[in-house]
Amino acid sequence: MLFSPNDLSECLREWDDLEKDYEQIQDTHRLYKQKLEEVSKLQNSCSSAIARQRKRLGELTLSLKGCKKTPLTSTLSPKEIESIAEMEESIKDKTNVFFEMEAFLPRKNGLYLTLVLGNINVTLLNKQAKFAYKDEYEKFKLVLTVILFMFSFTCRFLFSYRVLDALFNFLLVWYYCTLTIRESILISNGSRPDGALYQMFRNQFLSYNLYQSFVQFLQYYYQSGCLYRLRALGERHTMDLTVEGFQSWMWRGLTFLLPFLFFGHFWQLYNSMTLFRMFQLPECKEWQVLMCGCSYMVLFMGNLFTTLRVVYQKYMNNEDKSKPM
Amino acid sequence: MSPSLTEVQEEWQSLELEYQKLQETHKKYLQKLDEISKLQSSCSSSIARHRKRLKEVSRQVNKCTKGSSVDDAKTLADIKEKVKTQENAFSEMDAFLPKKNGLYLNLVLGNVNVTLLSKQSKFAYKDEYEKFKLYLTVILLLFSVICFFFVSYRSMDAIFNFLLVWYYCTLTIRESILITNGSRIKGWWVFHHYISAFLSGVMLTWPDGILYQTFRNQFLAYSFYQNFVQCLQYYYQSGCLYRLRALGERHNMDLTVEGFQSWMWKGLTFLLPFLFFGHFWQLFNSLSLFRMAQLPDCKEWQVRMCGLCFLILFMGNFFTTLAVVRHKMKSRNQKRKSM
Repeated sequence: MLFSPNDLSECLREWDDLEKDYEQIQDTHRLYKQKLEEVSKLQNSCSSAIARQRKRLGELTLSLKGCKKTPLTSTLSPKEIESIAEMEESIKDKTNVFFEMEAFLPRKNGLYLTLVLGNINVTLLNKQAKFAYKDEYEKFKLVLTVILFMFSFTCRFLFSYRVLDALFNFLLVWYYCTLTIRESILISNGSRPDGALYQMFRNQFLSYNLYQSFVQFLQYYYQSGCLYRLRALGERHTMDLTVEGFQSWMWRGLTFLLPFLFFGHFWQLYNSMTLFRMFQLPECKEWQVLMCGCSYMVLFMGNLFTTLRVVYQKYMNNEDKSKPM
Repeated sequence: MSPSLTEVQEEWQSLELEYQKLQETHKKYLQKLDEISKLQSSCSSSIARHRKRLKEVSRQVNKCTKGSSVDDAKTLADIKEKVKTQENAFSEMDAFLPKKNGLYLNLVLGNVNVTLLSKQSKFAYKDEYEKFKLYLTVILLLFSVICFFFVSYRSMDAIFNFLLVWYYCTLTIRESILITNGSRIKGWWVFHHYISAFLSGVMLTWPDGILYQTFRNQFLAYSFYQNFVQCLQYYYQSGCLYRLRALGERHNMDLTVEGFQSWMWKGLTFLLPFLFFGHFWQLFNSLSLFRMAQLPDCKEWQVRMCGLCFLILFMGNFFTTLAVVRHKMKSRNQKRKSM
């Protein structure tokens, strides 16, 4: 092991260099922390100033309305009318400006985010970060949708182990939950104007999907157990499948599923009514609203009448059985 | 009496002035935000660079120490000490610089920065996490009592299991955020939550049947005991942590965990038997499940899967706790030897 005095002096020289560098880093960091404090003070003062302005603007709007309607001063000069109109325009502009400003100020999380994440501030503080986050969200959705599609394809056509199905359902639930978290973050970050309608419908749609998956899950387990039993007793063709509705052989032991199914059908009706109502709103510009509303309506009617027919048939069968007795 | 137009106009003027001021403040704010993000990236990159050089220097120092004179050895040892101090300082600095999220947080939250940039907000977040755990533990406790003694529907059990899954998943998210913010939680305790979440999920999908009913009461009693011990632990741990923190003996971002940690010897030894009893209950659960899996009418995969999960939980918990006990025994022996 050769040791030369040069190594040592090089070492010491490098070390001196490092110490100087270290001092610099410490200074920069101190400056950084100072600025952090200044920024948080500015944040607080901005937020409170905006809140104050908003309150006073609200009061001002009321006063303006009062001014316009007084019968005593119905003889308002055109100049006064103009100035009132100007003020109202200006108030609207200011409200928009405040929304934009707030997109860069930290905001308290909504209930859902607070429950899941706690007090973390999820506001992204510059425009590129916001866009990058939105892009990432879209990519996430795309990738997960493809994965889910392939998974469901595999489950349907290739393998049919219950474990795989359970895994698929787990993945679905996780996907929706993560999606809701990310969307809450997007909403906190000011992603509102486009798709306000969609956002309104979003939660309802997601809960509906969750409910549907849950019911299908239940059904799958009970139906396959039932089918197995009936097949063993030789009473059903071996190629019968679990389906999403109610079939005549399901009476044997699956009656308890009926209320769940009916609830699901009526949820579809509710979805379609909500969508139709949204379509009536003046801000509705999307054709998808009407289309989805119609689809849900068709789904509801088909499901309801098919299930009702089975119930009716069973009722008739019971009557027939009791007649000859 | 509605105000006259002139009054309104006066109010308007004063509002306009305030508005101008607000716009200026906001512009200054955006400017400072910009400066900060530049400072952040320059700090992070210079720290990273410096760290690399520190590693190089340590390597060189180690090389030089072999066969150097006594004086030189002292200087080199001095340098090594200083290197360590610098690295500690960097870890502290890191706590205030934005960090990339780990894999799990990235999957769930995406690119949001979850670093809390001031000491108070970090503590506030940690306190909130502890309170969240406590509230949920109490709720789960009550729920398990209700399911055990009063209501006996599969759907109630399903709701209980849903709640468990949601609780553990939320805990994992919050803990990842805490780790990003500098909390030091040992790997097993975090992993333990992932396994518990998975276990509750599997229990959720277990269809109602004879086997399920047989296991149900055991599981509910076990949940009750678990939550009870956690409540106990929370009370004693937080008091203890508070005391130790005040005496400066523990890092401020330490959390209460569900196991036994080295600092707990000071006054929490009585918790040990409770914890071990809990671990052995997990082993018992796992064995009962495996025995059930041997039965001829067992067709549900959930039985074996739950058995496996409980076994993993038992082994992880037991061996981690045992390691802490052994460590203490060793240090006590060392102290005795040196006397």
